[in-house]
Amino acid sequence: MLIEYILFIIFAVIAIMSSLCVVTLRNPVHCAGYLIVTLLQVAALFLLCRSPFLAVVQVFIYVGAVLVLFLFVVLLIDVKKASMEIFKPKHRPLAYGVLAILLIETLVVIFVGGLEKIRLAAPGAEVKVETIGRELFTSYIFPFEIVSVVLLVAMVGAIVMAIDRRG
Amino acid sequence: MKPHVKKLDRQCDHTDAPSILKDIFNRAIFKDIIKGLSVTLKYNVSPVITLNYPDKEKWIPTARYRGVHTLNRDEEGRELCVACELCVKACPTGCITVVPEEDDTGRGIADRVAKIWTVNLVRCMFCGYCEDACPTTAVRLGRDYELACRDMSCAVLNRDQLLQKPEIPEDFEGGTRVSARMKKMRGGIKVIPDINKKRDNWW
Amino acid sequence: MTELTNILPSMATVLQVIMIAVKCVIIAGIVMNLPIILVWLERKVAGHIQQRPGPMRIGPHGLLQSVADGIKLIFKEDIIPSKADKIVFIIAPVIALIPAMTVFVTIPFGDSIMIPYINQEVTLYIADFNVAILFILAVGGISVYGFMLGGWASNSKYALLGSIRAAAQMISYEVAFSFAAIGVVMMTNSLSLVDIVHAQDGWFTNWNILYLPVGPVWFCIFFVAALAELNRIPFDMSEDEGSLAAGYQVEYSGMKFSLFALAEYSAMVSISVLCVIFFFGGWNAPIPGIPIVPPVLWLIGKTFVFIYFFMVIRFTLPRYRYDQLMTIGWKVLIPLSLVMILITGLMRILL
Ligand code: SF4
Ligand code: SF4
Repeated sequence: MLIEYILFIIFAVIAIMSSLCVVTLRNPVHCAGYLIVTLLQVAALFLLCRSPFLAVVQVFIYVGAVLVLFLFVVLLIDVKKASMEIFKPKHRPLAYGVLAILLIETLVVIFVGGLEKIRLAAPGAEVKVETIGRELFTSYIFPFEIVSVVLLVAMVGAIVMAIDRRG
Repeated sequence: MKPHVKKLDRQCDHTDAPSILKDIFNRAIFKDIIKGLSVTLKYNVSPVITLNYPDKEKWIPTARYRGVHTLNRDEEGRELCVACELCVKACPTGCITVVPEEDDTGRGIADRVAKIWTVNLVRCMFCGYCEDACPTTAVRLGRDYELACRDMSCAVLNRDQLLQKPEIPEDFEGGTRVSARMKKMRGGIKVIPDINKKRDNWW
Repeated sequence: MTELTNILPSMATVLQVIMIAVKCVIIAGIVMNLPIILVWLERKVAGHIQQRPGPMRIGPHGLLQSVADGIKLIFKEDIIPSKADKIVFIIAPVIALIPAMTVFVTIPFGDSIMIPYINQEVTLYIADFNVAILFILAVGGISVYGFMLGGWASNSKYALLGSIRAAAQMISYEVAFSFAAIGVVMMTNSLSLVDIVHAQDGWFTNWNILYLPVGPVWFCIFFVAALAELNRIPFDMSEDEGSLAAGYQVEYSGMKFSLFALAEYSAMVSISVLCVIFFFGGWNAPIPGIPIVPPVLWLIGKTFVFIYFFMVIRFTLPRYRYDQLMTIGWKVLIPLSLVMILITGLMRILL
């Protein structure tokens, strides 16, 4: 178990460092690269939680599809111009506000919720694909369908916007 | 969408239902692709037509080929050239030099023989006019075509080099490929044919 | 003392780790060196299709030609364009290569065998995940970043166009490719590659390709999508020499260039192995009771048939136009695979 804690610390530190890089670096392609690293680390954390299905799906969906599209758009940006632009000052207080709320939330979760209760999954309790599927299609069928409808709406919306612009 | 673009997309001219169905069926079983693959697979097992030169094979041209000049002798071994300099006159590029001399020792067929007979292969265009002009058929264009070398020294051939017997005998019928062996020398490489071992002509 | 034994891994675990490490080294060694043979084979196939002998001069029948080429590439000057993004330019080939190699972690080359002297049973795969198919799809998808970032970092228009094409093609065909994998999962009821092969045990009529009527269609979808994923002719839009010079690798030279080639060839090997495992019964012999040939050789033989097939296709078909590529992906393969999922599902329920 010692090895798992060491691995957890390595993955977590890399994830945090690279996500800091995502927000601080100027070059959008580098940011996308660090976002990939972050997501891969999160997938590794899922693996440590004995949930290989979630880890693999995380890599498959986010790294394999979403970020490819992301990078696809970023590649077309004039990088020199994009890295010159900085955030407008008037949005800064808002950003700091959101950051503060998130920080407080995390601290509440850690200290009020009790840090000692949070621990890696019990050894041997591997989450099976069948379990996830059964849960999704029985207990969680309603939220699942709602999410699907939301995605469908987004898709239709995108198509409608594309058609309008061409006409 | 413009009509002609649509037609290009569909890529078939007929529009009646049975032929469209047939088209769809042919595509579903990858008919065109299988046809193409069968052609390439057939070629894949067919014999190779490459001449393996200079490693293992060599092309021997026919007798009428115009390669490097040879100076010839008659049956008794006398030089046929009488240094009449007609070849020099006939040569369009002026690359032959002939200097005559008197010699009655029986070296040549007449008392007049060539003291110097050189041909500058850098200028020669292998037109064969020298061959036509020669009254005694002394100069002839041979079958050697390996002329590449590393410096200019081999570009001018003198009489002694030209008088040497050609490595392919006169009566050998050319137009074939034969086995050969590559020899590396200081001046470059030479491919020595073995004219007894003929290879198949693929055509 | 008890605490110490809790922390320290047991002897069996250590042995297991050593075993995995040895297997990794063996597979990495084979996969890294396989391109030497495959490049030679590809050139030979190309030659003989065009009635010429291909490489002949180095080694018997040119066998050492690719070794010579490799040595040449190693010693070649490694040029980095002056306005390139240096770090990304350098790591891009590595990003392309690592996922292509990682896929081999899950690929089973056979069942377990007994090793004589140490009397230990050894499995012929590194890991048998219960999500192996998804793992392969996910990890295989990462290698497109190598092509994308490499093209972008070269700071050249051809390279950028190549990488954009690679990304668009990847996105379009990943869907059909995953659907085909789902089809295999539906036919065999498992996500683990070992179980998929075991589901096809016995006579060759048990193979997925003969799971009529859906098997052959799934295979066609899988194969076409795999060709596109591999960036091979007829779908090699991202390195199209006719219009893009060499696409994303136009600025690469020396060892970095050969890393890209290595990535492509190992991807080809892994896809060929997957074709065999998914549809052609893995290491099973077509007729049970041919004991002379060991199962591993069956797998290797079938794989080489597919590799050869990929090569023949490369020298047979012309390249598709870019819009045709997208049409095939979005308008043919994806709807077809959705219909096939329905049919396969019905078959599983009703039969
Ligand atoms: S072949 Fe023509 S160019 Fe050459 S030496 Fe004879 S006449 Fe001159
Ligand atoms: S080679 Fe013939 S043409 Fe030339 S000088 Fe001699 S005899 Fe005369």
